[in-house]
Order: sequence, then structure tokens, then C-alpha cells
Amino acid sequence: MTLSYLSHLECSGCGKEYSYKEIHTFCLDCQSPLLSIYDLKRTRQQVDRDEISRRRKGMWRWHELLPVKDLKNIVFLGEGDTALLQLPNLGDEFGLTNLFVKDESTNPTGSFKARGLAAAVSKAKELGIKKVIIPTAGNAGGAMAAYAARAKIQALIYMPKDTPRANIEESRMAGAEVILVDGLISDAAGMAGEKARAEGWFDLSTFKEPYRTEGKKIMGYELAEAFDWTLPDVIIYPTGGGTGLVGMWKAFAELEELGWLENTRRPRMVAVQTEGCAPVVKAFENGALFCDFWINAHTIASGLRVPKSFADALILEDLRVSNGIAVAVSDDSILEAQGQLGRHEGIFPAPEGAATFAALKILLQQKWLDPEERIVLFNTGSGLKYLE
Amino acid sequence: MSNSILYIEDNPDNMTLVQRALEARGYHLLKAVNGLDGVSTAENEEVDLILLDINLPDIDGYEVARRLRSSSKRVLKSVPIIAITANALKGDAEKALEAGCDVYMSKPINIRELWARVEAFVPMP
Repeated sequence: MTLSYLSHLECSGCGKEYSYKEIHTFCLDCQSPLLSIYDLKRTRQQVDRDEISRRRKGMWRWHELLPVKDLKNIVFLGEGDTALLQLPNLGDEFGLTNLFVKDESTNPTGSFKARGLAAAVSKAKELGIKKVIIPTAGNAGGAMAAYAARAKIQALIYMPKDTPRANIEESRMAGAEVILVDGLISDAAGMAGEKARAEGWFDLSTFKEPYRTEGKKIMGYELAEAFDWTLPDVIIYPTGGGTGLVGMWKAFAELEELGWLENTRRPRMVAVQTEGCAPVVKAFENGALFCDFWINAHTIASGLRVPKSFADALILEDLRVSNGIAVAVSDDSILEAQGQLGRHEGIFPAPEGAATFAALKILLQQKWLDPEERIVLFNTGSGLKYLE
Repeated sequence: MSNSILYIEDNPDNMTLVQRALEARGYHLLKAVNGLDGVSTAENEEVDLILLDINLPDIDGYEVARRLRSSSKRVLKSVPIIAITANALKGDAEKALEAGCDVYMSKPINIRELWARVEAFVPMP
């Protein structure tokens, strides 16, 4: 049995190929993120999508399209197969007949970060990496700590000192060393990068290694399966580093090449940021290919406090190719949306997840959405992690 | 316009990467390995754009930018400066812009972004 059809890594900027058998970070030539490329022709011939649907639940039932080659290296804590919930009450209130939320809060460590870190730590284990480091706005650190603990890999985490307390505690509880930084995730990234270079830690920063995207892309496969092998019309996604957005768009391309979709319609992707940190929105509106570094980033949604993503070019390209859009919402509207999701649907979302509902309301006002479209919001984590 | 770009950078790997990237696009690269050398080169050569590392071994990039902007060589008051730094520490971007830089980039330097940023000021030869 072939566990994974991973073929090689490829630079998203210049197309240079790299072997998956070696440790890589990003492209040495043009310093763009690397993406995992699979032998989809062979996968199409040898893998039955319906057989995957019958497997035991969890992210790794898609193992042919994930990067780990040896079963013993998979580090599994129950990630994946999160609920796709219809929002009937809010749908009625806003006149939307097909409004859904993909609720990622049920992942291990309470957020979607578990998916990416499950893939990255598993592959790190396969490559013989003994110590991993990450700068984080919070949830990625907690997830890395958990998977590293399970994999018996040493973990070091840099987080802003005002990161939610739950993230700090869960990381320490999982045995990671946590260093609190007086600054933003970009500050943490600078310090973690320096530490990694000086002491040989492997850096699991967003898009600075190739495999977190692969875990996140499975959200796209799950959506296709849930919609009977079609895709929703609109996906509204909170965008900090952008791994999930880029990963899902990659998944849709793979699904099409695999011949697993019933039609070729793809969703319009919506990137949601906040008014206090909206580099993607600004670049999208200006028609720019890259984001400017956002000065003085501030928002209650700590996961969206990313002044510039390393994959900004990919995010912007995917938004444009999908005929999507980028929207900035206020912190006040996030709090209001959080309350509405709680009162009307019984969901307590992370601020980042609530931001997608705030964006939905803006897009309705702009008549950018058709009331009958199948719209999926992403709640990326549990509100319980942001209680202070 | 001479298409000359001055890169002030003490890290030889970054220097090589940027040199290869810009020369591939037809630009002429002038090199300085510390801040004082960078100021001197800018004052003595014709320069269309300056790439400025912030973490330099003598004076830091902010001071380099301030000296360039207050130079007696009048053209240096307006020559575009792109600040580049590995440590995106709190306020680095703000400080770079306050010191007179026009654009802030963080390392690793994405070459496609570098090309786009440079070309916005100095059209490709």
C-alpha cells in the first residue's frame, strides 16, 4: 500500500524542485514558500474517493494526499473531520438559505492549528528532526507543543507577552519552553529565526516549512466530501498567515485534477482581516502583488495580528483567481458577531471566527453575496481560549 | 538614470542572493559591508536606490538613513531607501520610516517582491 503519493516539493515563486527526502524550509533561490506536489495521476488511478469516506474519521484518512511516507511517523491526536454546521437561525434572520460554519474548535488544542502542526510535526519526525521552534500568536504554539510532546520532540515557542493565557499554559503543560516577547508575532518570528539559525532548531513558522499547508488543505477535502463532491460558492476565512486559505485553494486544484469533483465550479474566497491589521485588504484593493508591512498592528483577534504574511503573494493570487475579495472588520463588530453566534446558534467562536460573520454582514450590505449561495464561514477556534 | 543600486549589508549570503537577483534583471549593484562604508559610497557614487540592512556592525541602518537624508549631497535627500531587516522587532518598521526610509521589508527577502519593490522606483533596464 502506498501511504503517500508525495512526489516532490516545488517553489511557489520560481518552480524550482526539491526532494521531500531532505529537510527544507523555503526556496533557496527566490525565498518563496515551498509547496508539496503529489503524483495525482497515480493517485487518481489507485485511490477511490468513496473508500476514503468509509475510513475511520480524522485528518489522516486522506493520507495518500498528505506528506508522511511511513505510518509509524503519523502523530495523531484526533485532528480533522470537524463539523460543518448549518446556521438556520442566522440564515433566517439575514435571508440566507445555505449558510454554514465549519467549526474547527473541536480540533485538539481547540483550534484549526492542530491540522497544520499535526502534518508538520509528523513530517519533522519522519525527517529525524529532534527540536522544533515556532513564533506564534497563540494557537499554533499550543498545537505545536502538543504534537511535539506526542512525537518526543523538543519544543521552543516565542509568543507575544499579551498572548491569551490559555495558549501560554497549554504550551507549558505540554512541556514546551515558552518565551514571551514584548511585541507582535513578527517580533517573535525575528527572535525565533535567529535562535533557529544559531542553535539548529527547525523553524515551523507559517510557510517557512512546506507541510503545515498540507494539514490545513484537508479542510478543503472535507468540504468537498460534505457537499457531495461539489464545492461551496463562497468561503469566508479569517486570514493571518493564510495557510488555510492557500491550503484549501491547493486542495481544490488537486481535487479537480483527481477527477473527484462533480463539477468544476470553485468557491469565491474571502479573506477577513481587522481594521487594525489589514495588509492583505490594502494590497488587494491596491492591486499589489505583495503586502506592505502593517505598521502598529492591533486587534483583539490575536490570530489576525500578522503585519505581513510570508505567503502574501500566494494569498493575493488565490483571492484574485477565485474572483474573491478581502474585507476588514472592526473589533467592535467582531464582539457583536461573537454574541450573535452564541445567542442564535449556540456557538462560542474565537474572535477570528466571529470576524467571518462580521464580514458576511458587510458583504451582504454590498450585495456581493447572493442569498441562495452556499456560504461557509470558518470558525478557526474556541472562544474559551480567549476569556481574559 | 544609471540603474545603480547600493546594497548596504554585512551578511555575505544575503549580498550574494541579492546581487544575483538584481544583476539578472540588468541592474548594477554597488556593495557596502557596513554603515559608514555605505554612507561614503552613496556620497561618492551615482546611486538610484539604496537597499539598507538595519543590523550593521558599526552604525545601524537607522543612523545610516538619517545621515543620508541630511547629507550635503542633495540628491540623497530623495533617493529611495528600502530598509531590510532580519529582526522585525517592535517598532523597527516605524523607526525605519521615521529615519527616512521609504519602504520596509523583512527577511527572508522574497526575490520576486524585491524585484517588484525595486522596479517601482527604478524601471528595469
